Amino acid sequence: MTVPSMLEWIESTGLSTAIREGGLPYPIIGGVHLLTLALFGGMLLATDLRLLGWVMRRRPFSDVWYQLRPWKRLGFAIVVATGLLLAWAEPVRLYSSPAFWVKMSLFALVGVHALVFRKKVYGHPEKLDAAIGSQAKLAAALSLILWAGLIVSGRLIAFDASFDGTPLHQVNGKYVPSSK
Amino acid sequence: MPAEFFKWLVNSPWSHFMNSYEWVFPAVQSLHFIGFAMSIGTIAIVDLRLLGLGMRRQAAADLAADLAPWTRVGIAVMLITGPLMFSTDAVAYHLNPAFQFKMVCLLLALLFHFTLHRRAVHPGVRPIAAKLAAALSLLLWTSVVAGGRMIAFI
Repeated sequence: MTVPSMLEWIESTGLSTAIREGGLPYPIIGGVHLLTLALFGGMLLATDLRLLGWVMRRRPFSDVWYQLRPWKRLGFAIVVATGLLLAWAEPVRLYSSPAFWVKMSLFALVGVHALVFRKKVYGHPEKLDAAIGSQAKLAAALSLILWAGLIVSGRLIAFDASFDGTPLHQVNGKYVPSSK
Repeated sequence: MPAEFFKWLVNSPWSHFMNSYEWVFPAVQSLHFIGFAMSIGTIAIVDLRLLGLGMRRQAAADLAADLAPWTRVGIAVMLITGPLMFSTDAVAYHLNPAFQFKMVCLLLALLFHFTLHRRAVHPGVRPIAAKLAAALSLLLWTSVVAGGRMIAFI
């Protein structure tokens, strides 16, 4: 099965059509995606800023880490699940969207980040209670940059050239081009 | 006249700036998203604490005091980038029901945040009152985001 035919098959499934053409499902799933971004983003921000020593300095890092972890996991699961549903709705367009591929690359880098820093930083949060080393701070800064990049590239998907000609949704509807 | 004002806004220098390059609007909108992730995300942490669902080992007042500067920076970013986007199409936006809904919720959310919500974290507050405040805060901010998402679809 070739990639284009696979994408077309996805787009022909009942679920894909229902999200894409159902009216309310698309904005609702998008809304949940956004809300979870706020929840998950806040947790992530708090964790990373704690590593950088900018918030909650009186609390040990491991304490902050373990308390936020269940919420971060929940947020991550919801944001990925809703993201998958949104992608399932219009795979053909996304396949030709540069911003989508930037976003997916950043997402892959999030995985690399987790693997690289697992051993020295996130795997043993108790060790960071005494002192937070430069590597942990680097991990926190990179994490913030990656997630900011994910938000920006995610937003750009609605604006890039893949939308031209086939505006499946009016996500871009309020933008008035300079030529107008 | 409000209508005149919105027309003037659409022709304002910052509206022209927003349309000067194709990437400006999405860039400002991305900042708007980062701003609300910062503000609403940190507010949600305090609310979950008040509801007894997370961060239970620290006092709500400490948590709120620690996160407050980040909440405020997030709110400031939202309140700068939001009106910039609004100015590009003010005439259409102000008539959009989703936008109107969002603005009412935003006004209530901000008022609530800087008045009762601030007091809810104090140790003397009855737990049920603190929980109600947290639930209302989450509901208001959720409505702001949901209303905002619907603007493009109505």
